[in-house]
Amino acid sequence: MKILVKIGELFDASRLIPIESAHVSGVSYKTLGEAPTDFLEALANTGEKIKVEATLNPQSLDPKHLATRLPKHLIEMQLKLCGIFEKLGFKKSFTCTPYYIKEPRKGAHLAWAESSAVVYANSVLGAWTNREGGPSALAAAIIGKTPDCGIHRAENRKPKVVAEVKASLENEIDYGALGIFLGKILEDKIPLIKGLKNPSPEDLKQLGAALASAGMVNMFHYKDRIKTEERLEKIIVEPKDIKETVAELTTTRTQKTDLVFVGCPHCSLREIKKIANAISNQKVRDDIEFWICTSRLVKEKAKAYVRKIEASGAKILTDTCAVVTWTDKLGIKTIMTNSAKTAHYAPTLNKAETILASLKECLKTALKE
Amino acid sequence: MAKCIVLRGRGIVEGRCKAEALVSTKPISFLGDVDPETGKIIEKKHDLYGVSIKDRVLCFPHGHGSTVGSYVLYSLAKKGLAPKAIINHKADPVIVVGAVIANIPMIDKIDIGKINSGDIIKADAYKGIVKILKAEEG
Repeated sequence: MKILVKIGELFDASRLIPIESAHVSGVSYKTLGEAPTDFLEALANTGEKIKVEATLNPQSLDPKHLATRLPKHLIEMQLKLCGIFEKLGFKKSFTCTPYYIKEPRKGAHLAWAESSAVVYANSVLGAWTNREGGPSALAAAIIGKTPDCGIHRAENRKPKVVAEVKASLENEIDYGALGIFLGKILEDKIPLIKGLKNPSPEDLKQLGAALASAGMVNMFHYKDRIKTEERLEKIIVEPKDIKETVAELTTTRTQKTDLVFVGCPHCSLREIKKIANAISNQKVRDDIEFWICTSRLVKEKAKAYVRKIEASGAKILTDTCAVVTWTDKLGIKTIMTNSAKTAHYAPTLNKAETILASLKECLKTALKE
Repeated sequence: MAKCIVLRGRGIVEGRCKAEALVSTKPISFLGDVDPETGKIIEKKHDLYGVSIKDRVLCFPHGHGSTVGSYVLYSLAKKGLAPKAIINHKADPVIVVGAVIANIPMIDKIDIGKINSGDIIKADAYKGIVKILKAEEG
């Protein structure tokens, strides 16, 4: 409660407002560590329970593929942490794409952490949420409310800058690169991004995830018809800006790929279908792991595609992703991914070299000829 | 003689301290940019790469990136690796929440361009005042 009042005071909230749902980050023991686990355990021991619908971010384990391959004490600590969340009243959702479980209503107030989901909810789904810190999203889940500040207010959701995209964005990595490029220069100014040509929801997911990784802005506008106040500052995004950003997100051009990772943020049903169709009857190379990460729910819905994908030797992981598990402890030194967000974080969080490549190129690398 | 510059901002998390400034012109994501085991900045593209934030008055424009950053600040504090105070240009909820649970004095709305790494800072987060005690130059 102290957390929420503090945030409210700072950002000029006059009151707490009820929320439709909360989404809590800080679920992977890898990113959390010991002290915050104790903090959460103490909270759970007070008997507090969540009062609104609330989902959890990914943890560090997949029930099928990782549970036996990681050091025992790390597995134990992760299971302990999952138990703490269960005690607080959470179900085992473990995904960074809670909007594939239940899409929030347009205009609904939410208290979501997980920066990629925050941007997607605000920009693509039209729900309203600030980018909560892990602990403040949890506090909001427990009291069912959040301070009425930031972009819970209509006047703070207007674009402050126009980003004119002159580059033609060919695939998801170009959208991700645009997010990284803009995130670094926007500070807290919400952009109206002009010049996107029929982006798919998944393209926008990549754009938003990257935008939030590199910057502090929590939403973007992308429909030209939105009204803007007279003269806004303008940023021009040239083709070379995208090209250079893509190049910067690749740290090695010589090292062999150990892991091809798709599913940051977690794959949608459409993405799983696309991968299944592209794999056809091919097999994954013996010297490479191919991970496709998604939520339990989407995997369940995608059963037929999952069978096809798994027949190739690719692994469909649920509840986790490459960034929040210990890939270094699995001997993975180089990660190829189609996610700019992963490419941004993996050098530090996975101590890995990264290669940012389109899904097409990821498949080409992972599969036998 | 030391000369003293006084900057006025907004106190966010109460507390007072006197310590050496560490100033970055770049935003910080505590998850990813900072090693929770050592307190050092591990992001190679960061201007503070390789530097420890322990016991410094850490000045940076604002937070960004992962919402798990709040917990990383808490971890650092429990291990004795946290900064003595945080000074921002613009407070970001993730950093604020981290400073609250980690009990790190925090002030924002400060022009951090006026502060240099190595300056001795007296921060009073009750009043939102930052005093810069610079050694006389030349």
